[in-house]
Amino acid sequence: MDNIIVSDLTKKFVKKGKRKLLRREKEDILAVDHISVKVKKGELFGLLGPNGAGKTTLVKCLATLLIPDEGTATIDGHDIITDPISVRKILGITTGGERTLYWKLSARDNLKYFASLYGLSSKDAEERIDYLLDIMDLKKKQHQRLEKYSTGMRQKVSIARAILHDPKILLLDEPTLGLDPSFSMFLRSFIKNDLNKKEGKTILLTTHYMDEADQLCDRIAFVDRGKLIVVDTSKNLKRNVSKNEALEIKCIGNIDKLENFNAHIKNKKDYTKIRILHENTEDIMDDVLKDVKERAKILSVNVTRPTLEDVFVHLTGSKLEDEYE
Amino acid sequence: MNSFYNLSIISAEVKKCLKILLCYPMELVFWCIFPIFWAVPFIFQGNALVGGMESEAFSKLTGTTQFMPYILIGAVLNTYVLSALYGMSNSLREESYWGTLELILGSPCSKIPILLGKALNEAVTSTIFAVMQIFICVIIFGLDVAVNQILPIMLIVILLMLGLYGLSIALAGITIQIKQSHSLIHTIEYLFYLFSPVRYPVNINPWIRMVSLVIPLTYALTVVRGIMLLDKSLINLWQNVVILLAIDIGLIVLGYYIFFYIEKRARKSGIISTY
Repeated sequence: MDNIIVSDLTKKFVKKGKRKLLRREKEDILAVDHISVKVKKGELFGLLGPNGAGKTTLVKCLATLLIPDEGTATIDGHDIITDPISVRKILGITTGGERTLYWKLSARDNLKYFASLYGLSSKDAEERIDYLLDIMDLKKKQHQRLEKYSTGMRQKVSIARAILHDPKILLLDEPTLGLDPSFSMFLRSFIKNDLNKKEGKTILLTTHYMDEADQLCDRIAFVDRGKLIVVDTSKNLKRNVSKNEALEIKCIGNIDKLENFNAHIKNKKDYTKIRILHENTEDIMDDVLKDVKERAKILSVNVTRPTLEDVFVHLTGSKLEDEYE
Repeated sequence: MNSFYNLSIISAEVKKCLKILLCYPMELVFWCIFPIFWAVPFIFQGNALVGGMESEAFSKLTGTTQFMPYILIGAVLNTYVLSALYGMSNSLREESYWGTLELILGSPCSKIPILLGKALNEAVTSTIFAVMQIFICVIIFGLDVAVNQILPIMLIVILLMLGLYGLSIALAGITIQIKQSHSLIHTIEYLFYLFSPVRYPVNINPWIRMVSLVIPLTYALTVVRGIMLLDKSLINLWQNVVILLAIDIGLIVLGYYIFFYIEKRARKSGIISTY
């Protein structure tokens, strides 16, 4: 059974341009371009794409925060346009961005406020808040104002707020964005093991961290420039790349292009990373290394299996801006 | 269940707003004394101009020779205007700035109890401020407040607040759309100063008098001053009360429709998501 059915959903935004005399130029930006996708009950589904791909806009349409221009979606059978109240009752959402809570209030006061918006009785709210603060390991600091919390602790409160009313379906928009590794690890484990496996919640998660999607999601949809590129399991996506090896070279030097090879080059703070997909990397190794050596100092050379990021670059030609740590 | 649910939302909203307000103690002190400090220079100015605290010319326009209590009453009642405009209209802007507006609008509850909660919070805090200001006026300026005047004045203040909150709900909606509140609020605030009898009688100028007829504060000030300075009763002033009530109904209906029209428009344009 499908819990989320998105049908030909389209969302445009109007971007204001230069002013010409009395009129201002306007340009339509197609943030979500006729996307259709289905998410099964109990599935952990990943929407993967670079910043500005349209992931958040799609999530906000599903959460009834935006009204689509064309198409629609149903959440557990309720239409997002004609029955938004029913949709909101069964949805939990975390939106990206750090400030989605009241920093002048404590974690407990924040949760109590949102519990009242979702119609929890005082007794049920107290019990649920106790439980959530406990599993999030926030009980000791529950009465401290959020302005004194770390980013990771605030994100824990944000997740607790999203699941306060025990929703069937969760929309998690970049839940680990900007968190340090230990908090990210905790949240990923909580999302996969507790929310998805134990409680059986259907989860739609957006991320631009390829490894996070690879690790967590049952199926992954690649989104780029508002379009849905492909939907499949991580394993199948990787299998479908015809090149079955990736040559990865880390070096110091200014390289932005390799003349004879289709290389994916990332200039990082301390080094440059070059990845080339090929059927048999041994065939090209000498030529590539010779080319790189002429312009840079090589730090390491590795041959790996293609990653999800390789698949994404292969299918879209786009890069993901940040790398998952 | 539904009305209990709505009441619990109103209560949660009031508690939330009060807790956040208490994080800014200087703000509380400011609102308790600022409107009176703001009025004092006008009292001194009047004193310097007429050479005393009473004026016959003033009496011809207002029915009372004493301009000091006239200005102080204007200052105290104007607190409700300032509080409604700044507190209520700005509150949704603040929610947007805090990133919580989306979550509130994305919750399954009706948005009316949330707005009512914000209005009630403003009413409670404005009344605390007004009581503090009256206390200062009684102690320092010897303002005379009789016990039997309190009940009818409270009734007029409630009627004034209803209209102001209708207006501020509309402004709150407009604030979601235009993403800034200060210039809009300042404009309304100064229109109220100019066209209602806060500092001076509107009879001073026919144009000001004409515009003042659509401002609820004009009728509230007329009734409260009539009770406190001219020993009139609500029955003597019933026409002002009826007009105030009619303006309240108009502003509440207008505020409701403007807010929900803009909320829907904002969900279409995506402006809710931007700061």
